[in-house]
Amino acid sequence: MTASKREFGRASRRAVLQGMAMAGASVAAPALITRALAQDGPIRIGVISPLTGAWTVYGKAHSAGFELAVDEINEAGGVLGRELEIVIGDSKTEPRIVVEQANRLIRQENVDFLAGTFSSAERNAAGPVVRSGNKVLLYPTFYEGQEKEYAPGVCNPNIFMFGPEPTQQVWPHLEYMLSNFGKKFFMIGSDYAWPRVTNAVTKQKLQELGGEVVGEVYIPFNTPQYESVLRDIRQSGADVIFHSLTGSDTVNFRQQFAAAGMKKDFVLWTVDDEEVVTSGLGPDVSANDFVSFDYFMSIDHPNNAAFLERFRTKFGDDALMNTVGVAMYNAAHMAALAITKAGEVSTDALRQNLKGMSFDRAPQGPVRMREIDNQLVLPSYLMKVREGWTGVGDMFEEVQSFQSVEPLDARCDLPL
Amino acid sequence: MQFALSVAVDATLITLVLALAAFGLAVIYGLIGVINMGHGAMLTLGAYFTWWSVSAGLPFFLAVAVAAIGVGLIGLAFEHLVIRHFYERPFETLLLTWAFFLIATEMIKIVFGSDFRNVASPISGAWVVGPLNLPAYRALVCMLTLVLMAGTAFVLFKTNIGIKIRALVQNREVASLLGLNIARTYKLVFFAGSAVAGLAGGLIAPMLSIDPYIGNVFLVRSFFVVIVGGVGQLLSGTLIGSFLIGGTETIFALFSSQVIAQAAVFFVAIVLLRFRPQGMMRGR
Amino acid sequence: MTPSQQADAPRRWGKEGFWRGETLFAIILFAALALLPMLAGGYIVYILPQYLLFGMLAMSLALLWGFVGILSFGQAAFFALGAYALGLALGHWGPSGSYVGLLAAPLLGGLLAALAGYFLFSAGVRATYFVLVTLALSIIVEQIAVSQSQITGGWNGLFVDRIVLSFGPLGTLELFDDYAAYFFILPVVALAYVLLRWATTAKFGKVLVGIRENEDRLTALGYDISLYKTAAFALSGAVAGLAGALYGMHANFVSPSLAGVLFSTEVVVWVAIGGRISLIGALAGGVIVSSISNYLSSIIPDYWQLALGVIFILVIIFFKEGFAGAVTQTLRAARRRRQ
Repeated sequence: MTASKREFGRASRRAVLQGMAMAGASVAAPALITRALAQDGPIRIGVISPLTGAWTVYGKAHSAGFELAVDEINEAGGVLGRELEIVIGDSKTEPRIVVEQANRLIRQENVDFLAGTFSSAERNAAGPVVRSGNKVLLYPTFYEGQEKEYAPGVCNPNIFMFGPEPTQQVWPHLEYMLSNFGKKFFMIGSDYAWPRVTNAVTKQKLQELGGEVVGEVYIPFNTPQYESVLRDIRQSGADVIFHSLTGSDTVNFRQQFAAAGMKKDFVLWTVDDEEVVTSGLGPDVSANDFVSFDYFMSIDHPNNAAFLERFRTKFGDDALMNTVGVAMYNAAHMAALAITKAGEVSTDALRQNLKGMSFDRAPQGPVRMREIDNQLVLPSYLMKVREGWTGVGDMFEEVQSFQSVEPLDARCDLPL
Repeated sequence: MQFALSVAVDATLITLVLALAAFGLAVIYGLIGVINMGHGAMLTLGAYFTWWSVSAGLPFFLAVAVAAIGVGLIGLAFEHLVIRHFYERPFETLLLTWAFFLIATEMIKIVFGSDFRNVASPISGAWVVGPLNLPAYRALVCMLTLVLMAGTAFVLFKTNIGIKIRALVQNREVASLLGLNIARTYKLVFFAGSAVAGLAGGLIAPMLSIDPYIGNVFLVRSFFVVIVGGVGQLLSGTLIGSFLIGGTETIFALFSSQVIAQAAVFFVAIVLLRFRPQGMMRGR
Repeated sequence: MTPSQQADAPRRWGKEGFWRGETLFAIILFAALALLPMLAGGYIVYILPQYLLFGMLAMSLALLWGFVGILSFGQAAFFALGAYALGLALGHWGPSGSYVGLLAAPLLGGLLAALAGYFLFSAGVRATYFVLVTLALSIIVEQIAVSQSQITGGWNGLFVDRIVLSFGPLGTLELFDDYAAYFFILPVVALAYVLLRWATTAKFGKVLVGIRENEDRLTALGYDISLYKTAAFALSGAVAGLAGALYGMHANFVSPSLAGVLFSTEVVVWVAIGGRISLIGALAGGVIVSSISNYLSSIIPDYWQLALGVIFILVIIFFKEGFAGAVTQTLRAARRRRQ
């Protein structure tokens, strides 16, 4: 079909052969020929995506965003006269597999740098690998910010963050929500670091603005029934439900929340709904809920219109894009720009030149990589789900937006 | 008082939905002794068939019927091709049904894709009864669960085939001497259990996200419902088991975190299993 | 125990040739593995220890499944417990926590298995129920690891450093280097094999097989069956725990899903394919299936999982003893032809 697709196939065949060789080696131990590093061949990028496992549903936009950018770059003549080539690795949504894949891509496929991993756990699993292998990892997902104690999964000079952290995703919109819907927040999230940190960060700002948290509950993954939580919410007297459940639990909870007839009594603000999840909810369950992110397919920006046209040409009219896929898209373009600027492909050059790099064609509006802590300065949108939406085109309605939102400084030994 | 009442209502809803999810498992395990590790995949298939039929324009309850029959037929085919050769070896059937789970889950991904799907709730809103809020659709599902169980009781105790099945459960040799076609009866039960799982998956679909792993959330809970309730005690056992598993979770969640509540449920189930290996409903 | 299982038992155990074959195969395999780093380098030397540790986990299950006839769907719980034990020991005491961690991992794995095992076996809980309880066990360990995030890092996981072992005046052994790690882990796996092999061939193992074949007869002979089953389960848990600790150190990372049901059941698939009655078959199953899996899943993700499911069902139906059983039968047939 397109340039990167073909390379995809070529890489795959090689990987099959190497797979066979590897399997053979583990039994009969034939020597494996290590491929020599060719300076004039393509620039190889290892992409780790959740192609199977619990988060397959996000995997498509994740890898599609990167592929689209690589196609665009190659059609424009590549970087330093060399093509970009993707070598894909399936994370199976498992940190255990991420360790294997990241090592395979670095040690065996000799990739020049890595992009991807999806959850914080996956990124943390890749952290030690990119530190010891000294490769850059471009990480696309919205995440909980950086705390020194979680190094090398964060606070790692080799990891660059292309998604928003809570101060960018939540803080800009708190005042609007407070003044329009009330000061009492009920927080419900999945039981892991991202929701807990997001809520802690939100709570801090909320209290500064005179609001209060009237309830806070964390739900284990794959919980099918929510009666007791719904009862707690009903009795809390909350005005706003601040929602950070992830994966299928967000759908499970919201279906039951709507079915209990509670939508009319509470305003729901979620920080985990993008196109994929809202499509899964359907129009009845999601109508009038608030969502905040750096990117939505429905944002009205010339960059986005051009981006979506190319995206739909390549992946079809029904394909879904989201904040993570767009972050992967930006990551590929910014890496290409950094390599061009450096004039060479090396970890040091990439690291130095990504810092301070701006990308004006980003679908959500211009973005810039901070020099001090490898976090992205990006726009922040608050959207409301339209009643009776029919597809991603009319799914969200912009409430307010801010361009160039700075994150809080990472809690690391700065500069990274 | 009102609080206690609303806790009781919640516990009842949780119990009955869990009972519905576990019932197909209880039918197959209780009547023919096969631990169906593929039960979760059957729930998932039921949800997908319902989604697919609704998308094709069928009304919801007809779609659920299609799902029940569809999953029943898949179960029947699996029984005929594989399971019937292994009734003597419970261990083997456990592994084979696990393989069914693996294969069915991958087939679902290939055929239906892995995006989240949804089925709109056929009735929405809540019924307000005095101080209580009853989510309409869930309440309806709970009533259907009771109807389903009453229907099963009727079949088992009042019809000819039901009497044969009970005879078979109690004593195979005698049943076979009485001229009962054992192979055909087993097939019928496996079909019925699969169809009930498909029905449950369809009815649960509007409450959950439909993805290839939707059945998993009920899988282990369902097993404990059946084991804690006691094998062979199809109706009372399933209800008691669901109440112990679902009710424990509700009550623990009142004063501890949800995660602890879930771990506690499994722990309680293991302890019960240890001291009442025959299940709560067995006198011995 | 069902009649059909009793029927093929004498055939399986009567032939001494099977044991000679397995020993020979084990010697060749471990020798080849010891020489491998001279031929191959890079990624293979890095990754093979992880696959070998999966193989060690598979052996711990084969001990239960093949020799005692009880199946555990929760081996990953012990594996993860071991990884967390070493990770926490290193986090707490730094490099000097290595010994504590390496000791605690098998002890904790063994202890958890012993507690759960005795609790259930002493009540004569059925083997099929035991499967479900172990399934729940792995969920409980996973959920505790998620919920105790102050200690375990929760769902985001915990970093585990490579260990440094000091031998007093003899110097120190640092496992940062891939080759050092390889030649530390390979002998451990080999020792685990020898230990399990010894356990299954000594009197202990004969009693276990006796239990599998006819529980009532062994009871009548005065054996405390629940004690033997518990001991086997504890040994299995300890081996899995040690494998987990070394895995965590080697991968530098442990997260709750390592204890989860998906990984636990993957182990069952490895052992079924490799051969439940043979330790070396299980080891090979773990190494080969997991290495092929991780290659093919990047290329044909959905279809590979499907193919694995189909292979699994075919093995259960047609090759009850898996790959090892098929090889043994072929060899036996060849020998018969020669005679």
